[in-house]
Amino acid sequence: MKLKLFVHRLSQPSRAVLIFCKLNKIEFEEVQIDLSKGEHLSPEFKEINPMHKVPAMEVDGGFKLFESHAILRFLACASPGVADHWYPADLFKRAEINSVLDWHHANLRHGSAGLVFHSKLAPLFGLPSDVQAAAECEKVLLASLAKIESFWLKEEEQFLLGNSKPSIADLSLVCETMQLEALDEKVRQRLLDPHEKVRKWVDDTRNAMQPYFGEIHGVLFQLKDKLKEMESDE
Amino acid sequence: MKLKLFVDRLSQPCRAILIFCKMNEIEFEEVRIELSKGEQLSPEFKEINPMQKVPAMKVDERFRLFESHAILRFLAGAFPGVADHWYPADLFKRAEIDSVLDWHHANLRHGSAGLVFHSKLARLSGRPLDLRAAADCEKVLSASLAKIESVWLKEEGQFLLGNSKPSIADLSLVCETMQLEALDEKVRKRLLDPHGKVRKWMDDTRNATQPYFDEIHGVLFQVKDKLKEMESDE
Repeated sequence: MKLKLFVHRLSQPSRAVLIFCKLNKIEFEEVQIDLSKGEHLSPEFKEINPMHKVPAMEVDGGFKLFESHAILRFLACASPGVADHWYPADLFKRAEINSVLDWHHANLRHGSAGLVFHSKLAPLFGLPSDVQAAAECEKVLLASLAKIESFWLKEEEQFLLGNSKPSIADLSLVCETMQLEALDEKVRQRLLDPHEKVRKWVDDTRNAMQPYFGEIHGVLFQLKDKLKEMESDE
Repeated sequence: MKLKLFVDRLSQPCRAILIFCKMNEIEFEEVRIELSKGEQLSPEFKEINPMQKVPAMKVDERFRLFESHAILRFLAGAFPGVADHWYPADLFKRAEIDSVLDWHHANLRHGSAGLVFHSKLARLSGRPLDLRAAADCEKVLSASLAKIESVWLKEEGQFLLGNSKPSIADLSLVCETMQLEALDEKVRKRLLDPHGKVRKWMDDTRNATQPYFDEIHGVLFQVKDKLKEMESDE
């Protein structure tokens, strides 16, 4: 299978797909779609993904797929050599991972991505910050972090659902939480400090996925520095 | 496998699961959780689903699962008599259905459920209407219906993705669109009239899943009448 991945490393779901492929030695060509330059809105990219979003994937120059969870599930099943813990064949274990992946959209994703976008990233796209939208998303984020702390993470074992090895759910959700690095350090600490299990889980997932995790998240830390400069210029 | 389904037929994802089970002759016990009475907030139900939402499922008194798409995928995989078209074994076809199921959360679901709740159904639980939230959700709904019309429905095939038989994606999304019946007829027509393919797809999915589709949607039509009474009393 010849894979092309259309991604932007500032996009949380794009990072999850890239890290998954690197960890599992799945070969691919990375096509960078720069969101801040509106490249996702081009007619060429519309052929790849009519929803104009990253990540998207093309297989053997024909089959196209978008939605990161669909891509992760496909790659876990279609690529030889992917270890079972990423997306287990056992229907019960798989169903639990599916429930996290589904819960994610309206919860952690909505809260975290919304807060970071409306309070920090919108200006990069020439859009105004939306303080009210950011506040609403922060409520959803706080509730979601609390649910990960109290329910999705168990007493035993390092990963979601009490698993001893990471799944695509850990990868997706931790890449999402990393986006909080774009916030002011004080805000980020306020959000994460109450959740010790969440902080440990983020570290454990990061460690389990080095060196790729650090490498793929490089642009995010560059962005963090750029945002600090922009703010001190004002 | 002994199944218990914890549902409220006023909930779109609940209806999708009930219809799926009936279509596939999967035996289950239906445990009604009445949302308008706040039954989802009881300590007993919290044991079943700590997110305090319906639908939820219990298998053999030990395995608990929530999130309707996870439940539908599990049931399609766990019961041998379920025909392939519901959730195909072919990884490419399955991945396409996964992408619709994932897209749904932040798009049709967010738009439709939000609009109907904030403009109509909040009353049933004694909560105030939120017309600003309803307006935001209507924008998302209109964009989503347009995407179903132009991207997800093809020239060939009656169902999503150009399929000739329904999948769990058709069931989930059509149960969602049925919630629009709770709106004033004029509003509902304004939203759906521009989309000839969507309207045909809703009819085709309904017809393909009779008599269960109408039977399970019975309460929705009762609520529609009840809301009319409540409004004419004001």
